[in-house]
Amino acid sequence: MGPNNPVFPVTSAASALPWAGQPYSIKRHGVSITNCDTEPVQTPGCVQARGALLVLRHPALTIAQASENCAAVLGHDAAELLQQPVSRVLGAAGAERLAEVLASDAVECNPVYLFSQTGAGGALLDAVVHTLNGSVMLEFEPSVPTAAAASGSRLPQGEAGLYAVLKFAMARLQTAVGLQAFCDVLTQQVREMTGLDRVMVYKFHPDLHGEVIAEASREDLPSWLGLHYPADDIPLPAREIFKRVWVRPVPDVSGALAEMVPLVHPDTGVPVEMTHCGLRGPSVMYTEYLRNMGVTACLTMPIRSDAELWGLIACHHYAGEKALSFQQRTACELIAQVASVQFRDAEKREQLQSEVERERVSQTLLARAAGSGSLASVVRGEISLKDVLPCSGAALWDDGRWHCVGQTPPLPQLAALAAWLSTRPEFDNPLQRLFASDCLSADFPAAVAYAELASGLLAVPLGPRPGGLMMWFRPQVLQEIRWGGNPHDKPKVVGPHGPRLTPRVSFEIFAESVRGRSSPWLSHEKEAATRLRLLAMELVVVRAQRLATLNDALTRSNDDLDAFAHVASHDLKEPLRGIHKYAHQLREDARIVDEDLRRKLDNLLSLTVRMDGLIDALLLFSRVGRESLELEECDFNAILDEALEMVGSRREETHSEIVVPRPFGRVRCDWVRCREILVNLLSNALKYNDKSPKRIEIGWIGANETPRESAPKEAAGQTVYYVRDNGIGIEARNQEQVFRMFKRLHKRDAFGGGSGAGLTIVRKLVERHRGAIWLESELGSGSTFYFTIPGASGGAA
Amino acid sequence: MTHVADRSILVVEDSDEDWETACDAGAAAGVRSCLHRVLDATECLAWLHQRLGANAVSSEAPVLVLVDLNLPGVDGRTLLASIKADVSLRAVPVVVMSTSSSQRDIASCYDAGANAYHVKPLRYPDHLRELASIFDYWLGLNRPPGVGAICQ
Repeated sequence: MGPNNPVFPVTSAASALPWAGQPYSIKRHGVSITNCDTEPVQTPGCVQARGALLVLRHPALTIAQASENCAAVLGHDAAELLQQPVSRVLGAAGAERLAEVLASDAVECNPVYLFSQTGAGGALLDAVVHTLNGSVMLEFEPSVPTAAAASGSRLPQGEAGLYAVLKFAMARLQTAVGLQAFCDVLTQQVREMTGLDRVMVYKFHPDLHGEVIAEASREDLPSWLGLHYPADDIPLPAREIFKRVWVRPVPDVSGALAEMVPLVHPDTGVPVEMTHCGLRGPSVMYTEYLRNMGVTACLTMPIRSDAELWGLIACHHYAGEKALSFQQRTACELIAQVASVQFRDAEKREQLQSEVERERVSQTLLARAAGSGSLASVVRGEISLKDVLPCSGAALWDDGRWHCVGQTPPLPQLAALAAWLSTRPEFDNPLQRLFASDCLSADFPAAVAYAELASGLLAVPLGPRPGGLMMWFRPQVLQEIRWGGNPHDKPKVVGPHGPRLTPRVSFEIFAESVRGRSSPWLSHEKEAATRLRLLAMELVVVRAQRLATLNDALTRSNDDLDAFAHVASHDLKEPLRGIHKYAHQLREDARIVDEDLRRKLDNLLSLTVRMDGLIDALLLFSRVGRESLELEECDFNAILDEALEMVGSRREETHSEIVVPRPFGRVRCDWVRCREILVNLLSNALKYNDKSPKRIEIGWIGANETPRESAPKEAAGQTVYYVRDNGIGIEARNQEQVFRMFKRLHKRDAFGGGSGAGLTIVRKLVERHRGAIWLESELGSGSTFYFTIPGASGGAA
Repeated sequence: MTHVADRSILVVEDSDEDWETACDAGAAAGVRSCLHRVLDATECLAWLHQRLGANAVSSEAPVLVLVDLNLPGVDGRTLLASIKADVSLRAVPVVVMSTSSSQRDIASCYDAGANAYHVKPLRYPDHLRELASIFDYWLGLNRPPGVGAICQ
């Protein structure tokens, strides 16, 4: 830490910290969880008591600070060493060697092994040195024989063995294909090199929470693969250190700490920075967390991508102290560095591959859509819209319909979501017309209802709003996480800070932190969606053009129909009127006295009248199919009143009885055409009726009332209207025929004659309202015609 | 003083049967001699221009033009529109007679400036009655332009 950096907190905000205003020492200032992120882990004031640290002035090489355990490690009392030349500890030759190394090697921030020497009680110590900010950091730690591998390894022991292992590891890493395979090899190799019980690759997600993505462990240990941990579990200061060092050993999690004497550098008054010291004292929170998991020793290496921390290689040991030699740690550093480079490449390669794959999916979908002429085809088939982005479901709103694949919110919710989206300003951004959220319920509260399956939403508009939409959904993170067998059920121990520092609680905290959240949408995913949108838009434009062409064709064919109607009404009727006129004049001619001839002329006249009626019916029918409905909210009672009035004359002359059991509600329909339906049905009911009195009942059956057994499927959930008579009835075999054009079941003049088009027109009118019509009838006792007018809101309000 | 009944009714009708019916109705109403027939739109416009020149209230103006929609060549609706678009002719009342009862036809004729629209009935007696009412109204009750001024 440079002299310009804050040494110990002096700001007012920091004054609440326990060590405010004085140099920090882990031993003196127990850290509480709330200030984890401010703990000065780089200047902990203490070293791991298994070794000793001397801070020397450079180039004088006199001892400025010494860890308080120097007597136990080096056989010299710390207080006595202060201000002494380093030769007091290293001997003249050692001091000379140190000076040589300092002069020749790049030791700034780079610990270098000096030599081994005997310490207190004859123990062999490794001396390791590095410089930092003008100070020489000289560490002594017990020598560990270099074990090449975990027991059972076939490789040779000793340093030669270590290089063999390293070489072998590198070779295997280089042959691994893909990120996952690489991680798997990495964990196996590190475990082989260190002999530690569990080696994990811990990946940081974009929101900084971590996940175990690879693991090699002692066979009897439960797997932690797939477990997630909150970002807080690796506090910010620790992450910062891992951007600067390549290996972090804590060989004895429960080991004692030794404070520096004095705590601050006597010349500068600042605490000594131990970032690069292997002996740096670990945070109390960290060791307690490890102890609570039953971890007795650990080793951590960063995986960096450029300047960012991609993840960690975290190694745990459960069988007591486990120190690694400086050489082993150096090998681990090397592995971490190689892994970092490889990871960066592998990740870029995989990202590139997935981009290529996504592009291929997009092209496949669009080719299919273009081929089938329907954008909707993108939700069908083995490769679908869902495969364009990592997601759990996708939906397309196109041409007035939803097309869904995978897990999506139910249709009514989709509609509400789409309505909300159409008001979003993001769709106006000309650079990227796209809405993305990894916490949809925070933006759109109604989404809480389906947070589990769609906490993440990425949506792009197709065409001007409120036009088409493409949406991708991601589930809540919790739904995605594999919670492999719940291995943390029983914390090994719980330290003084309580259960917070256990993986179990960690997971719960993590779970809380990601409630309602999905994994975030990455920038290359957004780009892929934007690209697909542009390609799909082209298709939409092409389709719009085709639609316009079709519309033209339809207009032309409608015009043809109009022309036909014109011809029918004029060209057919004109000669008909002529025929009628001459027949009439002959009929009136006094010279024609023959009764038979006069009867024939009468027939001729009535035939022309009938033909005129048929032409009118045909014209009406063609108009019904062609002219658009004018839908409005109507009072069905009023429509019925008008219809009754229109058939009124017939009613009076036939002494009929009209029954309306209960009032009707409001209906969304075309008033005139609905009235036409009723007029036709009512006049039929009166016409084909030989009873006295004629009885007609007009009523309705609510959507939630017991439906008629005869009702067709499409009438389900609809209000059913009916017109019931006590007339002549229709035989079962004729019941479908009554709806056929010009189909009459009776003699021409029976029941007052008629064109036979009435029910055909009624059916057409009902169908124009997207409704259904059917009948129940018994010969001799009457008929009931049922029909629906979808959009009808039911009976009486 | 010019009596309205002295003035002419121009019938644009290509159907001989319907022309005869019109003559029958005219005879019954006592205005048979007023009826003039042209067969199509071109003849009609020529006849009108010859009578009217640039003066729309000339006493030569017909009291009524009865147009059948279904004409050979240029149809009745177009003829109607031409008359109503011509400053010198537009004051002449035009009554449309057609077999079509379609709302579209009716609306489009009124849009083009028709003074009345009648559907030709199929039955001969009905047809006669309809024509008689038209003659009664336009020759008896209605006051065409130009005539009122002279009477006063």
